[in-house]
Amino acid sequence: MAAFSAKSRAFVKQLVQLSLIDGRVSSEQVAGVLAYLEKNPPARLQAVLLAYHKAIAAELAKSEARVEHAGPVAPEALSAIAAALGKRYGRAVTTTAKPNPALLAGIRVRIADDVYESSVAGQLQALASAS
Amino acid sequence: MSTVLAQIEQQIAKLSSAAVRKNTGVITTVADGVAKVSGLSEVMYNEMVAFPGGVIGIALNLAEDEVGCVVLGDVSQLKQGDEVQTTGKLLSVPVGKGLLGRAVDALGNAIDGKGPIASTEAYPVEKIAPGIMARKSVSQPLFTGIQAIDSMIPIGRGQRELIIGDRGTGKTTIAIDTIINQANINRVGLASGDPKFRPVYSIYVAIGQKNSNIVRTIAALEAAGALEFTVIVAAPAADNAANQYLAPFSGAAIGEWFMENGMDALIVYDDLSKHAVAYRQISLILKRPSGREAYPGDVFYLHSRLLERAARLDGKGSLTALPIIETLAGDVSAYIPTNVISITDGQIFLETDLFNQGIRPAVSVGLSVSRVGSAAQIKVTKQVGGKLKGELAQFRELAAFAQFGSDLDAKTKAQLDRGSRIVELFKQPAFSPISIELQAVTIFALQKGYYDGIDLKKVTATAASIREFFKARHDALLTEIRTKAALDKDLEAKIVAALDAWKSTNA
Repeated sequence: MAAFSAKSRAFVKQLVQLSLIDGRVSSEQVAGVLAYLEKNPPARLQAVLLAYHKAIAAELAKSEARVEHAGPVAPEALSAIAAALGKRYGRAVTTTAKPNPALLAGIRVRIADDVYESSVAGQLQALASAS
Repeated sequence: MSTVLAQIEQQIAKLSSAAVRKNTGVITTVADGVAKVSGLSEVMYNEMVAFPGGVIGIALNLAEDEVGCVVLGDVSQLKQGDEVQTTGKLLSVPVGKGLLGRAVDALGNAIDGKGPIASTEAYPVEKIAPGIMARKSVSQPLFTGIQAIDSMIPIGRGQRELIIGDRGTGKTTIAIDTIINQANINRVGLASGDPKFRPVYSIYVAIGQKNSNIVRTIAALEAAGALEFTVIVAAPAADNAANQYLAPFSGAAIGEWFMENGMDALIVYDDLSKHAVAYRQISLILKRPSGREAYPGDVFYLHSRLLERAARLDGKGSLTALPIIETLAGDVSAYIPTNVISITDGQIFLETDLFNQGIRPAVSVGLSVSRVGSAAQIKVTKQVGGKLKGELAQFRELAAFAQFGSDLDAKTKAQLDRGSRIVELFKQPAFSPISIELQAVTIFALQKGYYDGIDLKKVTATAASIREFFKARHDALLTEIRTKAALDKDLEAKIVAALDAWKSTNA
């Protein structure tokens, strides 16, 4: 398969911009973009859609924090994490809890490319790599 | 009591709950020592990244939606989907005197089985070369121990002198001879207790060479007692391209430590042709646009930024670089040779024809030049060997014409005879550098006609005999030549007397 051209990349970037309202992905806008693409299919529609999907997923990941935890996490703690991250990144952040016993104790928060490690497993790994 | 304990517990709780922030990405492809990573949105150019299993890499290509990282380690451990983390650090290697006598890889890890490296400091592998104000012009000599070079193409401390030639012409031998000569000078200088004496430490960087060749080089240095003043940085042919690309920069970092700490160092890059090939491989995998001979556009900058790190610093030490370039069929006008020729302060050109004629080292005097070294040449060498380069050039011209006929006048015949004697005199076996004072005596004997009338084939042996005679019987005179570093009438008379004594014993 030929490489995705710079023109197509710019087109996808434009579509992503159109899908945002106040820096957040809007489902109505996404529906509008998809309807437009169906009506006016560009060359290599599948590749464009795949790239669009990847970009929207990355945008969504910026506002969705996945909280991995070993042991129970209080809903208040999740709201506190969402508030702290929202303050840090300057946008509304939602949290999704996911149990992960491999952490042994503590939590690990993943938002976009950033990982906040506060688990025993993470600290043990840091110790192992430091030695 | 319980309040105190509660306070401590609170403090511990604060510490244990502190979250560590990491910027991460995911491997999308791994091929030929290069991993493409999506994510790593905060990675910096040339930053070290951590792959799973303790493997590290360097971020070399920062694209809009992807980061290209060269992997410095076992690529076979990595797979698609593995998490990659930024480290916030630049790649560094251990530096210091603890590396002397050791062989390390491109990352500064010991590979000689002599245990861990005793080093407390680390220097970044990539560093901007010293600027104009920090530098001082080259004015101190660095003796190679090779007569043809020290007398006609002198090298100074802080100079970059290229050694260029086809394969099998003795390029590495010249570099090794120079390292051995530094060790010999260091031993004499340190034993003399002279507080002004500045030893030269050597770094030999082997890039893309066979492991057997590297072992042979180490053995040669060890046999000559030079290993204790030398650091070997090895990125053999079996290493991945990333390590071969990094090795010279690691060597430069090790050399810079000596320079920054008021010491003198010599670094040999053996060779930069293979280094350019390794960089081309990485660049092609990273899909960087390729130019002439498929090298990337920044291959000149690759070598210029490396060689610019060799300098003589004001109030500090120096780093002298001897890069090596291998040519194909003597073609010095190829891309990489012309690049490095233009970067360096001169070149020593080795010719296959001369090598095959038995003229070793096969230095082509006509094509070799040292742009700054003559300022560093000591007076005694200038006095005895100042005219040699011109005489030899004249000889080559006359020898070419003499092939057409035997009817030559007496003057031409004398010039040809003298030229042949100079050529014979400069023949020197491998791994036996000659001290500068013995070189002065050998060439002085030529100027005074002590080789005249001797069978041409015996000139080399005669010169060796003179040197042995001086070493055995006139050690004090040799020390005087070394310390005075210039010939006066008194010293000249003493040398003539000694040469006469040699002549009478060898008559």
